[in-house]
Amino acid sequence: MTTEALYLSPTAHLPYCRGCGHSLVVRQLSCALERLGLPPRSIALTTDIGCMGLADSLFPYVHTVHTTHGRSTAFATGMALADVIMDPQGLKPIVMIGDGGAMIGLLHLVHAAQLNIDITVLVHNNFMFGMTGGQHSALSPLNWVTATTPEGNWTPPIDLLGLLRSAHATFLARQFATSPELPGIIANAINSPGFSVVEIIELCTAYGTRWNQANGAALQEIIQRQGIPLGELETEMGRPTFRELYHHEIESPPKKRFQPAVPRINPPASLTKELRLVIAGTAGERVQSAAALLCRSALAAGLYSTQKNDNPVTQGSGFSLAEICLSPKPIDYTGMENPDVVLVVSKDGWKELQANGTIGACRDETLLVLDSEIDAIPQRGRVMRIPLRHKASPRRAALASIAAWLAKDPVLPVEAWDAVVALESVGRRGEFLAALEIGRQLAGGGPAL
Amino acid sequence: MLAEGALAAGCRFFAGYPITPASEIYEAMMRELPGRGGLAISAPDEISSLCYCVGASLRGLKTMTATSGPGWALMIETVQYALMTETPVVVALVQRLGPSTGGATQGAQGDVWLAEFSNSGGYTLPVFSPSNSAESFELAVHAFNWAEKLRTPVLLLSDKEVGMTTEVVDDDALQIPALVNRKMAMANAAYAPYAAEGPDGVPAFATVGGEIKATVTGSAHDTQGQLRKNSPEVVQGLKRLQAKIEAHADEMAMVRPDLDPDARCLLISYGVTARAARQAVSQLRSQGSRISFLQIQSLFPIPRKWLDWAVAGMDTVFVAEENLTGQYRTALTPYLSGKRVYGINRIGSPISPGEIAQTVRGELA
Repeated sequence: MTTEALYLSPTAHLPYCRGCGHSLVVRQLSCALERLGLPPRSIALTTDIGCMGLADSLFPYVHTVHTTHGRSTAFATGMALADVIMDPQGLKPIVMIGDGGAMIGLLHLVHAAQLNIDITVLVHNNFMFGMTGGQHSALSPLNWVTATTPEGNWTPPIDLLGLLRSAHATFLARQFATSPELPGIIANAINSPGFSVVEIIELCTAYGTRWNQANGAALQEIIQRQGIPLGELETEMGRPTFRELYHHEIESPPKKRFQPAVPRINPPASLTKELRLVIAGTAGERVQSAAALLCRSALAAGLYSTQKNDNPVTQGSGFSLAEICLSPKPIDYTGMENPDVVLVVSKDGWKELQANGTIGACRDETLLVLDSEIDAIPQRGRVMRIPLRHKASPRRAALASIAAWLAKDPVLPVEAWDAVVALESVGRRGEFLAALEIGRQLAGGGPAL
Repeated sequence: MLAEGALAAGCRFFAGYPITPASEIYEAMMRELPGRGGLAISAPDEISSLCYCVGASLRGLKTMTATSGPGWALMIETVQYALMTETPVVVALVQRLGPSTGGATQGAQGDVWLAEFSNSGGYTLPVFSPSNSAESFELAVHAFNWAEKLRTPVLLLSDKEVGMTTEVVDDDALQIPALVNRKMAMANAAYAPYAAEGPDGVPAFATVGGEIKATVTGSAHDTQGQLRKNSPEVVQGLKRLQAKIEAHADEMAMVRPDLDPDARCLLISYGVTARAARQAVSQLRSQGSRISFLQIQSLFPIPRKWLDWAVAGMDTVFVAEENLTGQYRTALTPYLSGKRVYGINRIGSPISPGEIAQTVRGELA
């Protein structure tokens, strides 16, 4: 088999209209591949929707992936990303896309450029949608007559390569389909490590030349008028590729912080039935992390737990709350129809619990531990009002409130807390222990229940 | 846990885009995959996320993305491509309150139809729905296995309440099936990329970049992967896409039944609402009611085998789900003929055990 036959089949019937630039491009691509001598199985010809997408069957030995409209670049990027961790590596996706596809899939081109992922994109720019009947595209020149701009196009064409340059593409070129330089440019693009694009200027002979006075000379003039350069453009060539950066990152992985496993302690928790607890305060004041610590302590003491957090969509402002179930058995429903314990450490938290119905759902036996700044009086429940924010600080109030509750109702052994807090860093450990101690003291000195 | 399950299933590629309440999966995969020989990437939108996954799967990897309703809406073009090209991929769809942007931090089970009925032609997309963290792990492994075995996209339909609740899981109690990998094309044999054994077979897979030439297309094609309009071979291929799923429907069926042999009333639920339903059943039984319960884990294909078994002898069927119009109840109704069928529905907050028990008592009184 000759190298020529490895790519475009010499006997292939090209399915394009007479004079269409696409026929030239498939020949030029084949010529470029022959020059490079790449094994056909190292290439994934990834075609978009449009006439150029018919190229698949013309290349019988390379892998072909015919995709959806505009997404060819994204599928090719996925293949190239996966290739980074394959053994053996070395797949080269080559995308064939039109000017229409390049616009609907612009984001995929931009991201591929930004990643500097190793794919080559051939943009077949014939200024319009040919396959669907000659509608105008985002790359149609001014005054270009199409099925959808019968009086001539009046929106200026985008400079695709200029756009991709700003996304840090490392190889960009533009040339006419008729240019003898094109195979060399395509070969350089494929050979260039990282992301490369060749915008190929051509004419749709079904519609473009029918409705516009367009020939080779007119094409030159159109490009000149747009002020966009031809040939290989200046880029950030040499910028590291995704493949290089990824392997560098993997070889020097950052130190990851895993939560250490929770040890089992003795004695186990004395809880015999499910307990439902809500803790609420202000975002950024460690309400949810205090709740998580409680759940870890419960785990240490042999309990099952669930924790559901809630906060406004803004994350860092307004209320913050956690709903917790603790149980000696696996937990089904995690809602708070009848909370047993409600801990409220700020006015934000109180407001939310009133709004979401938690306060209304309290029963006479519900224990409410409230910060002294909350002066509202709940209709039902046993209330313990203590100066958590004042004594423990707002950021420790949540943890202190848990300690205050447990001092009154010791369902978890102190050893469980000690075991979990011992897993924290020295600085945090001190802070946690101080908060817990303040809570216990406040519970002891608080008003009678 | 869903992410952990994916990793245990052999997922080596993840592409994601931030969206509440699915970002936890995205972050976990970004953190965990690189150290485990995989690759995770931040995509610029959900369309790219799924395209990257499909591309990576074509290159030979097990892949997943995770999103919520608004992101899934953008992925529907690409999931059809995966279906048509017979490319294995798993999508975790963590539901939130819709329509549109809806309530990002509000749970819901409103995407059942959007998940299942998302393709032109009405092909069955396998959908698994976990109700807790342990099931999230287990069903993730099943989802990957079926995606590989049948070369098809598979959905994990979770929701905010299941996906964002931290809970204790007993590792030792997890039921993890053996891993399945897609059947590979053999070298040195005549290979047609879309030829399968029988009308419900699954073609062998040729890796893009491998020794055997891969031909992939989302357009109507013959067994060689060549563009054809509506030749008998094309139509046969399209029928096979559905037949291969239906042929394995019984094998795919997963339920957690809790039947009372003397009950005349069956409660059906799935996902987060199954948790409340289970508790409601305990309440009702403790008050003397005879009631059976069926939690469905494999929503689609509808597990007819177990459904027929569970409804036999029942007069009344309740279906509890956190959406307005009873989406799954509507899907089940054709198989519940002769029964009185009631929906227990709510939006805006999870359905409580009390609400379920009250409705059941009210209707049975």
